[in-house]
Amino acid sequence: MASIPAPLRGVLPVLLALVVLAGLQLFVGDLPFFVYVSSLVGVNIILAVSLNIVNGMTGQFSIGHAGFMAVGAYVGGKLALEMKDLAIAGLPSAASDQLQLLASLAVGGAAAALAGFLVGLPSLRLRGDYLAIVTLGFGEMIRVIVSNLEVFGRALGLSGIPQTSSFMMIWAWVFLVVLVARRIQDSAHGRSLLAIREDEVAAEAMGVDTTGYKVRAFVISSFFAGVAGALFAHFVPIINPGSFTFVKSIEVVTMVVAGGLGSITGSIVAAVVLTLLPEVLRSLFLQVGGLEGGAALAQKVDQIRMPVYGLLLVILMLARPQGLFGSREFWDALPRWWTRFRRAAP
Amino acid sequence: MTAPLLEAQGVGIHFGGLKALSGFDLSIGQGDLKGLIGPNGAGKTTAFNVLTGVYLPSAGTVRVMGEVVNGMKPHQINRRGLARTFQNIRLFKSLTALDNVRVACLADSYPVFSRRRLDGARRGSTGRFGLPAAMAALNNYVDWWRALLLTPGFQEEERELTRRADGFLEVMGLHHRRDEEARNLPYGEQRRLEIARALATGPRVLLLDEPAAGMNTREKSDLMVLIRELRTRFELGILVIEHDMKLVMGICEDITVLDYGETIARGAPERVRSDPKVIEAYLGDSYLAAHGMSVPGAGR
Amino acid sequence: MGEFVQHLINGLAAGTIYALVALGYTMVYGVLKLINFAHGDVMMVGTFFAYAVARGLGRPANTSFLGVTVIFLVAMAGCALLGLVIERFAYRPLREKPRLTALITAIGISFTLSYGFQLDFGPLPGAAPRAFPEIIPPREWLILGDRAVVIWNWQVISLGIALLLMVALQSLVYRTRFGRAMRAVSFDHRTAALMGIPVDRVIALTFMLGSALAAGAGILFALKDTVVQPLMGLYVGLKAFVAAVIGGIGNVPGAVVGGLLLGLVEEFVVGYSASSWRDAVAFSFLILVLLVRPSGLFGRATAEKV
Repeated sequence: MASIPAPLRGVLPVLLALVVLAGLQLFVGDLPFFVYVSSLVGVNIILAVSLNIVNGMTGQFSIGHAGFMAVGAYVGGKLALEMKDLAIAGLPSAASDQLQLLASLAVGGAAAALAGFLVGLPSLRLRGDYLAIVTLGFGEMIRVIVSNLEVFGRALGLSGIPQTSSFMMIWAWVFLVVLVARRIQDSAHGRSLLAIREDEVAAEAMGVDTTGYKVRAFVISSFFAGVAGALFAHFVPIINPGSFTFVKSIEVVTMVVAGGLGSITGSIVAAVVLTLLPEVLRSLFLQVGGLEGGAALAQKVDQIRMPVYGLLLVILMLARPQGLFGSREFWDALPRWWTRFRRAAP
Repeated sequence: MTAPLLEAQGVGIHFGGLKALSGFDLSIGQGDLKGLIGPNGAGKTTAFNVLTGVYLPSAGTVRVMGEVVNGMKPHQINRRGLARTFQNIRLFKSLTALDNVRVACLADSYPVFSRRRLDGARRGSTGRFGLPAAMAALNNYVDWWRALLLTPGFQEEERELTRRADGFLEVMGLHHRRDEEARNLPYGEQRRLEIARALATGPRVLLLDEPAAGMNTREKSDLMVLIRELRTRFELGILVIEHDMKLVMGICEDITVLDYGETIARGAPERVRSDPKVIEAYLGDSYLAAHGMSVPGAGR
Repeated sequence: MGEFVQHLINGLAAGTIYALVALGYTMVYGVLKLINFAHGDVMMVGTFFAYAVARGLGRPANTSFLGVTVIFLVAMAGCALLGLVIERFAYRPLREKPRLTALITAIGISFTLSYGFQLDFGPLPGAAPRAFPEIIPPREWLILGDRAVVIWNWQVISLGIALLLMVALQSLVYRTRFGRAMRAVSFDHRTAALMGIPVDRVIALTFMLGSALAAGAGILFALKDTVVQPLMGLYVGLKAFVAAVIGGIGNVPGAVVGGLLLGLVEEFVVGYSASSWRDAVAFSFLILVLLVRPSGLFGRATAEKV
């Protein structure tokens, strides 16, 4: 792997995956199932990788990520609703749609970033358990506020957001978040984040502005969560407060922990597996089981998902707390015999 | 005499009712090698913590390079020229030796405004915010953008950081451990790595908290030589907390003795060594009585 | 005026329930330095135990004094056992690990219990809310003014039971050898072990105690809400945790004060605005306390030694 230039390392697998996906899309791109699942996977990857920047690299345990997703979804979605009847003259409607989508994403992301700043600044002074709880509190507060505001549709939520999310847009943002995370990881500032994770007092004594770094990481992470939320709003027919509960935050936390805190590839793999598995199982039961039995089994998959996540967390912590790849990337965690094999070959 | 690099005047701190430090005076100039000793719990590490901004002093002023640093955060004080090591080693355990030092090197990088210009701006202005803060912030933010966008300047700076870090490792004799995780290093090397890391932040004053703790005789004498060398080579002022009397008496030119947060003696090693107050603090008044000494003006 | 008093009564009734659950949180945090996220869901399980027993006894047995006592005792014993099992198999192996690991585990257990109980097969109750048997048939006991204030029998009984349990706990913690052992372990478990205190056993018993209290609280909660459903533990647990933090986590009287305070404020806010803001109260409190005074009203601020 040393032959690949440093900036590209880590991003290459994503590029490859994108090529594969693009190929797949040519064949099955019209299947609503494929579109839905691939969109969901993309959104979850963005959520997991962005959360990893804070939880994994900086070692600040935040469990309110769904709150920022909500901000992005609602703000971006509201903007899209307002812009619905506008169209940019001179462009084909598809391009105009994408441009409007991009605007929603940018604004949603910016709003979420602002929320991240407002939440992060006072909270990041706290350590460990307390930080986790206060981020949980903020995430829920955001949800409660949104569900009480008329402009956001209260408990009913927003509907009618143009379903313009496209394959290209989602995976472009996946690429972007992985790129940013990778660049951070590979830079002096990433090292400072890791130092904060290892020993905050020592890092502060070595000239690292710990508060500034933590808040910055939090803001970047929230930005992408907001983008993910706005994307989500553009491929589901309705968004309501129930889509952004504490449960969603824990789902993302599970992905990050299972993949390994600090490992970008770990987060990606965990996000893919944990999103695909229930969806695939569900549609399998629907297909195979016929109308009655299949639907019942499919519903069971939905129900089983959460307790399984819970059990997964417990088992992980007891048996393999470092998750899949620990804090390294998958090419670092390759078993020794593989590297020995490669070295042996001329 | 040149202006002191680090100056403490009447510094005190209390936790609730407990006076951990009171009336602490200290002055470190370039080329100084001073010692801070006292029985356990006397307040030595507390003094370090107050000087470096971990605690806010309840009384007195701390000045670094002439600038009052009371209330500043540790990283701000560090960037003004004060670095420290810790009594219980606080390395970044899962980072390599090289990375430990590279993190510290960042504190001494000036991508946009050079250190000279930054110092000049600081001397010219008062208050915490304003031009110098903006300049420092810009230095910081440019690094972020460069890293994110992979500008050519970034590659160059990474190489520079690595080069400097390698240099510090070399000085402390740790270059062979460059890519080893800090937690895997033997104890003596960990202590040296802490010093390398502190040095990498580009300080003018170095505070060493029990740098020889846990070392054997040979390592300790090597360390003594090394500390003197560092003082000359990097033009530093050094303050050492130590329990090993031989080391302290061996290298320090001036020693301050603390007991219960108060300074009970100060001066050249020979004088301090025979001061009855110091002897009493370490060995108790029964020892004093047994050896026919008494503390002038005592009657507790 | 009448409205005010009514809110006061309601707030106190809710507050004592929060206080009971908060006590469990605070005791466990005291000895383990762990936020037992699963505590609210243990409460839920206890409530379902009570539900099963009450249904099993049937009317009129489950309204008799003996019946109600049996229901309480069985639910509390069942929860104590559950607490024991959780501590033994999920928390004890992680005692020397970073606190975060245990926190994640606690979250995992919480989800397993709450969403697990939502499943439909076997003994698991399923998601639909069920009516809790009226083991204390509701009767209006005190009517002031022109129905301006109505105090129900179950409110008074609930208050009474809660106070009884709290007083019992208080004397346990401060007047018995076991209580002293608990407090010793909460200060420093290694030193306590060196002093001959069976730390493992103390922690296990503390867990059992906290879980039993939670079961009691759960039954009172079911009397108040009249329905039970598997997700009831999540939010009550979270709010009780907020109550514990308000009072100073690790501080026993603090948990009681925090619970009452939270119950009252919640009730007044909902009473004078809208019920959709109910949850916001707890979270605002939480954020406020953690940012302004993390050690809570009565807690000790522990500083990190540098």
